[in-house]
Amino acid sequence: MSAPVEFSRRVFLKSGAVAAIAMTAGGVRMTAYASEDTEDAFAGWVEIRPDNTVHILFPSTEMGQGSETGLPQILADELDADWEQVSIHQLNEDDRRFGNPAFGKILYTAGSSAIYGYYSVLRHAGATLREMVRESAANEWSVDSASLDTRESRVIHPESGRSMSYGEVVGLAGFAETSLPAPAVLKSPEHYTLIGRSVPRRDIPAKSTGKARYAMDVRVPGMLYATVQRSPVEGETVTALDDKKTRATRDVIDVVALPDGVAVIAKTLHASLAGRERLEIGWSNTSRFRNFSSADTIDAYQKAAEGDAPGAAWRSEGDARAGLAAAKRTFDAVYTSDYAYHAQLEPIAAVAAVEADGKGAEIWVGTQTQSWSTRTATEVLGTTPDRIKLNMMTMGGGFGRRTELMQNYLRDALLCSKAAKRPVKVVWTRPDDLKFGAFRPAVAQQLRAGIDEDGRLAAWHHRVATPSVIEYFNPIRWDQVKPKDIVTMRGAENQFYDIPDFLAEHVKTERQARILPWRGIGASYTSFAAEAFIDEIATAVGIDALDFRRSVMHKNPRGTALIDRVEMMTKAVPVSEGRARGFAFAGYGYTQAAGIVEISLNRDSGAIQVHHVWIAVDAGQIVSPNNALNQIEGGVLWGVSSALFERVTITNGEVDQENFYNYAILRHNMAPQVEVHLAENHEKPTQIGEAGNPLIAPAVANAFFALTNRRIRHLPLTPDRVLGALA
Amino acid sequence: MISFVLNGERVETEADPDTLLLFFLREELGLTGTKYGCGAAMCGACMVHLEGGPAFSCQMPLAAVAGRSITTIEGLSDQGDHPLQKAWIEEQVPQCGYCQSGQIMRAAALLDSNPSPSEEEIRSSMSTNLCRCGTYNRIVKAVQRAASEMSS
Repeated sequence: MSAPVEFSRRVFLKSGAVAAIAMTAGGVRMTAYASEDTEDAFAGWVEIRPDNTVHILFPSTEMGQGSETGLPQILADELDADWEQVSIHQLNEDDRRFGNPAFGKILYTAGSSAIYGYYSVLRHAGATLREMVRESAANEWSVDSASLDTRESRVIHPESGRSMSYGEVVGLAGFAETSLPAPAVLKSPEHYTLIGRSVPRRDIPAKSTGKARYAMDVRVPGMLYATVQRSPVEGETVTALDDKKTRATRDVIDVVALPDGVAVIAKTLHASLAGRERLEIGWSNTSRFRNFSSADTIDAYQKAAEGDAPGAAWRSEGDARAGLAAAKRTFDAVYTSDYAYHAQLEPIAAVAAVEADGKGAEIWVGTQTQSWSTRTATEVLGTTPDRIKLNMMTMGGGFGRRTELMQNYLRDALLCSKAAKRPVKVVWTRPDDLKFGAFRPAVAQQLRAGIDEDGRLAAWHHRVATPSVIEYFNPIRWDQVKPKDIVTMRGAENQFYDIPDFLAEHVKTERQARILPWRGIGASYTSFAAEAFIDEIATAVGIDALDFRRSVMHKNPRGTALIDRVEMMTKAVPVSEGRARGFAFAGYGYTQAAGIVEISLNRDSGAIQVHHVWIAVDAGQIVSPNNALNQIEGGVLWGVSSALFERVTITNGEVDQENFYNYAILRHNMAPQVEVHLAENHEKPTQIGEAGNPLIAPAVANAFFALTNRRIRHLPLTPDRVLGALA
Repeated sequence: MISFVLNGERVETEADPDTLLLFFLREELGLTGTKYGCGAAMCGACMVHLEGGPAFSCQMPLAAVAGRSITTIEGLSDQGDHPLQKAWIEEQVPQCGYCQSGQIMRAAALLDSNPSPSEEEIRSSMSTNLCRCGTYNRIVKAVQRAASEMSS
């Protein structure tokens, strides 16, 4: 994508949008395009070369969600490009012209926002270039451009049978002077060739042969390995260090002090780990985090949730307190949830090669953000972005783990490389990533609801007591959005129901552990509380769980269609003996989902088994159906895993778990059958990656009630809690 | 000096005999298809074949593989076209992909010993291998597809 620019100009379209086209030595590149009345320009979205290849920029990062294929698919469709001739290029710099429209143009891949954020801009870019190609061919042939078709990277004049490849068109002498007589018209859905088609993912062959290269796999000449011994408790510092035995370890090169630990740099990972074992470190003993144990944290948050101190309103309609006072009957309950760990299968790794002057570096890292990885590097080295050469590696899972403003793994790689004057790969072992990771926060939620004369939900008050995730992991963003924390509160807006007097508020509590976004963010616990609580109310008033939701969804036909669909999916399948089903309606952002789970219970061990999940999802236009199914299936399994097993506990500031033997996640033999229905429509695409998991926990809790007549209001539903509920 | 057979070729090394096979493969030989996931035989991302059977390379010091035969994902097929690899692509199994080398190696060992496993046998055998993205059900389909191709 870096052919020298020979010529460029701006083309002003009648719509007020702007496209700038650059002729390069190699062909034509759309260097700028702005739609929707913004003046932002973008560079290099797409390039057509004379050899008829099409090169499309991938502005997000790939962590398994599939947008590396899905985003270019959108542009290629509008361009009428031959998909077989399309190459995809990872954006490896913090170039905000390509920033995520859903995140204020930050290069940030999170919130299931890639397709929904970039959909419009990619379509406009593809359509604009397509029209320019068509116009240029029309000039060449002296025919009306309306008489031309475009298909698979060719312009065709059906009347005369003439055709030209896009590569030939951009080689025409007059191409750069082509005027754009009219705003590019986007295709209507019946003309889509790639949008809505299950195009095979481009990354899958390499991921099936061991050839995909992750940050953990990067090897550069002269590279050393480092592992870091970190303080077992956040905030403590090194007060004494004896590294003699470490330095005497075979292949250990150096021991380096870091902001929150000690790094052992060695020729091999084996030597670094062996040297790290032999470090003798004295830690300070003054951190406030030593006072915190997770059970006490949840108790404290619960008191805050139950208290009267007003929180920050997340969504407010009518007057919730007045509505509750006027209600025919009211209900209340408290729900809690534990810390949870990302458990992405690739632990953390970052490689840095710092230049001799200490002010420039090449880095290889798998993160969800070019912007904050670049910023981490410039902050650590005290330099400017032009001195940073970034390589965004495909990630062995993201799930929110790799989103921070200051990425300490990348920071440590830079500091180690600077000290060693060689490239260094910093590796986090699995225990490092669990003990020193950052979690979905512990949360307590107080819910109150009132029903009217007809038994419909009329008032709702949801208090979510937990720290602000954004304030901790990205203070810059917090300054822009406070006091509204979407990471903490997502889902509590409950926008799919029509409840006239409504208040969801964030009761911000003290942070007592490291916290980060986690798949589904707030919806992973707010939907648990809300949907289990609604089930309690429906049961109390004797109304069917599905009908109870329908009664507050008369303005939401897309939502009720999902309930109808999932009911139909399960109707013909009798419930197996000894099992029960539970329903929940949730989603993520603008995506709605209705789901039913079927569970059984081992009453001796307390183990719940989820056997079957049926889920209907409306995410608008689906760009790549098979990949969307894979994402929903994966989200469902994530939901089952987190509903049943996943719990991080903390004792006196130390994380108690260290590996998969004491932080269990779902295995093959516990995976339910999953049946997914995707609503078919051409509405604006909405979130997929996090739409599958939020409804699972409440559906499981509701099924547990159906099976046992007992409620568990603490996530996850572990065997000890099950046995406690049955006792 | 330790020597062993790797993907059909003899390897000799002076490396520390305590070095884990996993790290030796990845760092010394550049065979990074075999992954580090947990270091504790709990996730299966490091799975290779030892004398044709499934083995956790994160648990094997080089000393333990002396004189023995190891196959990694890079040696499973000549062109990445083992029936399982084709089935993985056909079923569009991987998401992040980090676990999939280990999954495929585990599945290949299963089909070697049991050419037509039932769904339950597949799930049970594959339970040594974690997938955080949640591709388990697609893995089952892909193993069934490969088993059917290999038996026809």
